[in-house]
Amino acid sequence: MTDTISRYEQLREIVAEVLELEPEEVTDTGGFIEDYEADSLRAIEILARIEKKYKIEIPQSQLPRMRNLKAVYEVVAQYANWD
Amino acid sequence: MMDHAALRAILPQRSPMLLLDRVVEVVPGERLTAVKAVTGAEPCYRHLPPDAAADDLAYPTALLVESLGQAAAILWFLGRPDERSGRLPLLAGLRDVALTGAAYPGDLVRHEVRLDQILDGVAFAVGEIWVGERRICTVGSLLAVVRPPSSLAVREPEPKERDDDRHHQPVRATA
Repeated sequence: MTDTISRYEQLREIVAEVLELEPEEVTDTGGFIEDYEADSLRAIEILARIEKKYKIEIPQSQLPRMRNLKAVYEVVAQYANWD
Repeated sequence: MMDHAALRAILPQRSPMLLLDRVVEVVPGERLTAVKAVTGAEPCYRHLPPDAAADDLAYPTALLVESLGQAAAILWFLGRPDERSGRLPLLAGLRDVALTGAAYPGDLVRHEVRLDQILDGVAFAVGEIWVGERRICTVGSLLAVVRPPSSLAVREPEPKERDDDRHHQPVRATA
């Protein structure tokens, strides 16, 4: 459980850094594109940073799924085999 | 080492926007050192007033980082020649940029680029720009992409001239 929370917060920090926001501004369901004015390149940057940090590979086909923090966590959990 | 002809074989840019002269050292897919000579004959100085001050002759920052981006593109494509496949490299983003100096006519600008990460069609690099022993710029993250030439085509007013997917429309017969 603690792992889940800290990983979730790590992801929030990555997303906030790329979107140039404060971590507390990134809500679980705030849409990167709709609410934070991200474009497709920002999404790729988020993906790239996650791949590097967790040493995993996430196919770019998953990008459309990664619309908000909650969805990012779910995708990363799947590819990193987080329980 | 790669001379100018070898650069032209890899980069699609041409004068006056081919902003690299020579690659002096390269470890494909890993790191590269390239140089560009800045001269007073560059097009960017063409419209300077006759009484331009020394500071006015600083080489424009936009061209400086584009030049670094071209060095990153060479490094990217040397490691993975399949990545280009007819597409055009574009400098898409820069993060953590620090300008600590400038280059002037007569300076030999040296780019030190390291490839950080590659995704399909996207490359991340880190770089430093030097003039002799002076570091004039550091870039914490340079993002480059490849795009098909059609996506960059100048939009013509005639619908039939458009080849972008979003604009596929039946050509209407005119009376």
